[in-house]
Amino acid sequence: MDFKLTEEQELIRKNMREFADKYVEPIAGEIDENSRHPAEVFKKLAEGDWMGIPIPAEYGGAGSDYLTHILAVEELSRSCASTGFTVSIHVGIACMLVLLNGTEEQKQQYLLPMAKGEKLGAFVLTEPGAGTDVMAATTTAVLDGDAYVLNGTKTFTSNGPTGDTYMVFAWTDKAAGRKGMSCFIIPRGTVGMSAGTHFKKMGLRSSQTSEMVFKDCRVPKANLLGKEGAGLVMAMAGFDHGRVGIAAQSIGIVQAALDESIRYSKERVQFGNPISKNQAISWMIADMATELSAARFLTYHAAWLKDQKVNFSKEAAMAKLFASEAAMRHTIKAVQIHGGYGYCKGAKVERLMRDAKITEIYEGTSEAQRMVISGNVLR
Amino acid sequence: MPNIVACFKWVIDEAYIRKGASGALDFSAVDYKISDYDRNAIEEAARLKGLHGGSVTVLTAGAPEAAKGVKDALSRGADQAFFASDPIFNQLESSQTAAILGEIIRSRIPYDLIICGEGSSDQYAQQVGPRLAEKLGIPCISYVQKLTIGEGGRVLAERRVEEGVEVVEAPLPVLVTVLPEINTPRIPGVKDTLMASKKPVVTIKKEELPAIGAARLQTLGMTATRMERNCEKFAATPEGIAGFVEALQKKGVIS
Repeated sequence: MDFKLTEEQELIRKNMREFADKYVEPIAGEIDENSRHPAEVFKKLAEGDWMGIPIPAEYGGAGSDYLTHILAVEELSRSCASTGFTVSIHVGIACMLVLLNGTEEQKQQYLLPMAKGEKLGAFVLTEPGAGTDVMAATTTAVLDGDAYVLNGTKTFTSNGPTGDTYMVFAWTDKAAGRKGMSCFIIPRGTVGMSAGTHFKKMGLRSSQTSEMVFKDCRVPKANLLGKEGAGLVMAMAGFDHGRVGIAAQSIGIVQAALDESIRYSKERVQFGNPISKNQAISWMIADMATELSAARFLTYHAAWLKDQKVNFSKEAAMAKLFASEAAMRHTIKAVQIHGGYGYCKGAKVERLMRDAKITEIYEGTSEAQRMVISGNVLR
Repeated sequence: MPNIVACFKWVIDEAYIRKGASGALDFSAVDYKISDYDRNAIEEAARLKGLHGGSVTVLTAGAPEAAKGVKDALSRGADQAFFASDPIFNQLESSQTAAILGEIIRSRIPYDLIICGEGSSDQYAQQVGPRLAEKLGIPCISYVQKLTIGEGGRVLAERRVEEGVEVVEAPLPVLVTVLPEINTPRIPGVKDTLMASKKPVVTIKKEELPAIGAARLQTLGMTATRMERNCEKFAATPEGIAGFVEALQKKGVIS
């Protein structure tokens, strides 16, 4: 066994830490407060090839591996979970969908600008009545001459208001069940596709989320991704990749909670001693550090399996389940350690706790992860 | 088109040094980095190459683990690296480092301009640059905050000196030691780091170099500074100031 990162991975991680400290940490509170998409940061991320790390160079990426992308998401999320997530869904789901399923033309036209960070990707699957139950979706795509015509309403679309390249799922043959859904690449500005206004959320506020409405939206046949009817299988594979990203985002959050808790508990004096001297506090920190390590190993292992080109579906679900629940548990503890100060706006742990909650919900709830895991182990 | 050599030192990242209970420094969980001002030196070399063409060679002497630092340096715009590698090279004192770097440059690297950081993040002895210039018999310009290569192969340098700024000119070849104000070092992108592994590195073993002299300096001990707050407050009044002076005297800080 070898638990060592490569020298390149260590350097890349350090460079991302420096990037996040310099450009993200100082604005993380403000973009949360104002629900603002930090376009200026994404421009810089693009310049440093951070928006397509595992995508081959011929398609605009850095040509590295998935684990390296995961390290970047983790470090970015340590400063701002919203920014980390936006990179994660862009690379892990939108870019990977085209890389794994696209034609050469689609890769050149859509993947290349996404992997370069010139265009932002979005994943459009969830509907008001179809969350975990993807089969309950109602959006349809009907072939009419040389184009599919899409009708329906999607919701909770991350990068909805800010995206450029949308991966949209719709029924091409509802009667065919699991083999009846297809995926379309739809560029921003296509007539008949519109994004709603950004939702006001509890956390992850600078990540832009909205409804997407499709009204007689004509999409050329050439924009069908993969085969007709292969949409659901592609979406599930996309989730496998995305979930490792959410796990990375979660460990970034736990690491930040730990950093803050260590710093504060050493500074905060009560009854004549720093509160870190109290067993009640030091044990919380011990648990936090332990579960962070466990979550990190699960996450890196899932990413490593992906890089070894073996099935990592179960491991991705396990990493996401454990890391996201650890993020929730320990950000609550971090606020507890900070007491009243942690409950006030401006305290980083307050934001971390709100941001942590979504990691247990999106890209499959914790319950959905347990469905995937149990489905695998009870097989 | 100038051949530029940037020298750097791979040092302990002070952010990872912990303070033990007795004030002793704990190095058990440290990470390493390119010394801060040396990053400015490499950046300046890359910046000048961007303007004038030529080549950038990075050079260091260190323990074999500093190979990671060599990659880091190569990801910052350098074309090639020379690396004097030996387990004892992380304990060199300035005169020995200058002797090694000087020998390597003299015998192996064509140069017009050599750039060093003003001092290293760990010892900050400010010795290697001037000593290296002396070894090579070329002019040395220290405390440089702005550097220009002008017509006819001369450099123009702004030196930050105590009472102001001194502008000096010197013919190439020349060595300069730079201050952090000279530029903002880049944060290498992912491709920069990946490409660094493909750039040529010449590794030189201790045996390939003339014997280095014995170290003359010995580190006897190293302890952390301590800051204690007494939470005594003094008003900005004559009585308050008198009380402040009295308190300092009582502590033995002034007499």
